[in-house]
Amino acid sequence: MTDILFTNARLIDPSQNLDASGQLAITNGVISAVDAGPADSNSAKADKIIDCRGACIAPGLIDMRVQTADPGSEHLEDLATLLAAAAAGGITGLGCLPNTQPVIDNAAMIDSLGLRASRAAGPRLHIYGAATKGLTGTEMAELGLMAEAGAVAFTNATESIGDSLVMRRLLAYSNMLDKPVIQHCEDASLAAGGEMNESETSTRLGLIGIPAIAEAVIVERDIQLMRLTGARYHVAHLSTRAGIDAVRRAKAEGLPITADTAPPYFLLNEISVSTYDTAFKLSPPLRSEDDRQAVIEAIADGTIDAIASDHVPVDGDAKAQPFGLAQPGASGLDTLLALTMNLVQQDQISLLRAFEALSLAPATILDVAGGTLMPGAAADMIVIRLDTGWLVRGANFASLSKITPFEGQPVQGLVDATYVNGVCVFNRHT
Amino acid sequence: MNMSTDTTPASAVSLLQAGNAAMLPTPHLLGIEGMNPLEIRSLLDRGDQFADAIQQSGDDLSPLSDVLQGKTIINLFYENSTRTRVSFELAAKRLGGAVLNISVAGSSVKKGETLLDTATTLNAMHPHILVVRHNCSGATQLLSHHVDAAVINAGDGRHEHPTQALLDALTIRRRVGHIEGLKIAICGDVANSRVARSNIHLLGTLGAEVRLVSPATLLPTGIGQMGVSIATNLEEGIRDADIVMMLRLQTERMAGTETPSQREYYNLFGLDRSKLMRAAPNALIMHPGPMNRGVEIDSAMADDAQKSLIRTQVEIGVAARMACLEAMAVRLASEAKKYGDGS
Repeated sequence: MTDILFTNARLIDPSQNLDASGQLAITNGVISAVDAGPADSNSAKADKIIDCRGACIAPGLIDMRVQTADPGSEHLEDLATLLAAAAAGGITGLGCLPNTQPVIDNAAMIDSLGLRASRAAGPRLHIYGAATKGLTGTEMAELGLMAEAGAVAFTNATESIGDSLVMRRLLAYSNMLDKPVIQHCEDASLAAGGEMNESETSTRLGLIGIPAIAEAVIVERDIQLMRLTGARYHVAHLSTRAGIDAVRRAKAEGLPITADTAPPYFLLNEISVSTYDTAFKLSPPLRSEDDRQAVIEAIADGTIDAIASDHVPVDGDAKAQPFGLAQPGASGLDTLLALTMNLVQQDQISLLRAFEALSLAPATILDVAGGTLMPGAAADMIVIRLDTGWLVRGANFASLSKITPFEGQPVQGLVDATYVNGVCVFNRHT
Repeated sequence: MNMSTDTTPASAVSLLQAGNAAMLPTPHLLGIEGMNPLEIRSLLDRGDQFADAIQQSGDDLSPLSDVLQGKTIINLFYENSTRTRVSFELAAKRLGGAVLNISVAGSSVKKGETLLDTATTLNAMHPHILVVRHNCSGATQLLSHHVDAAVINAGDGRHEHPTQALLDALTIRRRVGHIEGLKIAICGDVANSRVARSNIHLLGTLGAEVRLVSPATLLPTGIGQMGVSIATNLEEGIRDADIVMMLRLQTERMAGTETPSQREYYNLFGLDRSKLMRAAPNALIMHPGPMNRGVEIDSAMADDAQKSLIRTQVEIGVAARMACLEAMAVRLASEAKKYGDGS
């Protein structure tokens, strides 16, 4: 007996190369049938029939890069608002960074956060363990115990692991555990004191520049270390042409390297900083137009596998500062889908490629549930209206974090409902 | 320059009626970038008149205009300053304004109050003009969005120091007669200098040929796209220059990764008599102060009565700032007329 039958839907699933109208059935939290074509007699046997009236059904988004302020700074974002914002944004799984207070660098922290998330019965929380104790970049954390507790990857969160020996050993050890290491690629000494991308613009504004090559320096070094260790390695929020070129070459060589980027890096460039508006202060910084074009090319050709929100809980106080003193980062969960649809509307990538980057690729990289509408898969899926426009207004975000570099921008693509394990965790109309 | 010598102080005052004030298109003076030659020239012309009037009035420091009568000017300085703050204070007083000085040391900022909270507090006291210096680039722009007063940038981080550039240009113009066509070398720590940026914009806009001379480590990325030529050798860079403008090397940068040592910097980039030989025969020396004698400039050069304009710069600074303050005040008055007083 089918629990829910969705009819008159446009089914989008990159894992089956599927973009067709049809219907989808959920039974016991699992996708039980996907049929392209008109409704058949099965419809009578469902507990509940939802007529999608042409809306799209796609696998739920898996957001590979999310910062939670819980535990530690719950006033900025607690687990409840984080998961609610994710659900409202069509995100059914999110990978959260370990830079909480205390740092997620041991199994007990993973247990506790994982348990609290599972009680919330919302999107799935995939926890990244800290690669080094206290995120100091010097001593390896208990990766094995964290992996047993459910850590899906290891990372030093918002800082690069600068010490090459530490990085070598991390790669070797995590390879043994078959978990990827996720790196924020930015050479700390080249980026020291940096406020924005280094360029003529930074010189005009008198802001301290972070050179674009600070990214490639770390990517290139880590590629050398991958050759030594054979480990899986993932570049977070890739944003420069030089870094992209390095990843592209490593992929051509057959190394198990993957990468993600975030909407600001394919929709905005450093010129946005010209008014010293701190909503545009991000890490990595907004880059040059050439870098932005390179990011778009790399998403299209698959050099960049995934698109993540790079959600950072940050409040108005931290942003109402002179540019140099303001905290980097912005809210992203509410806007990830609609902003990515810009690339589809501008014919830069196909709709299927967009969902591959938002859903299938992160599921594969992190080896977690979701990312597909294949019968038998967990029913982590969304109902969306691709042609519905709305205005980005931070004040309307489900997230507690209201700062966005896209404030006031019109976008297209609205989430109607989000399902995790066949359970509706968000419905715009109820 | 007004060359008349028979003008009495009384007629000087009549000359300085606000009708001759410079007109600016924006309510704030945050930077030179984006100003057109007419706006810059109107400030320089007015500054010229003030400079004459100051010279004529000698030791008599009574106001030369009443344009700031009944107006409050707050000097809000987040960085230490002697000359700029005093210069603004004198300028405001000679326009009849009441001046308040607030120095916020770096440490008390860390104690809690943010720039915007300070702005809100000051705003409640209804000052007419805020003169602001801050160590963060863009801080004065941020402040201008949150106060009702007109904001004058007295130096923001590495970004701009517009009144310094105006006083530099006025100093040059009063001595040489023009800016257009002059070869002007700006030498030293360009990367960390707001004075350099404002001067590049201003002197370039007025048609001077601007060259930068700096060690490669103190040349910021893309500066060559700002309409200047670049040299990393002082003797080469100042060849045939009419004006040699030295920049202050911040003491914390004298050793480390930006320059190897004070000694080496002086040897390679310090201005002394033999290096100055490369410049034009009547070349003039400028420095925004405070100077590091024996680092970027030799004392004999700094104190050379014929060649050095450094003291004149300080004197002219008051006149240049009077022109800026007056332009702000005149604009405030016209805004008040437009929208009705007190509303």
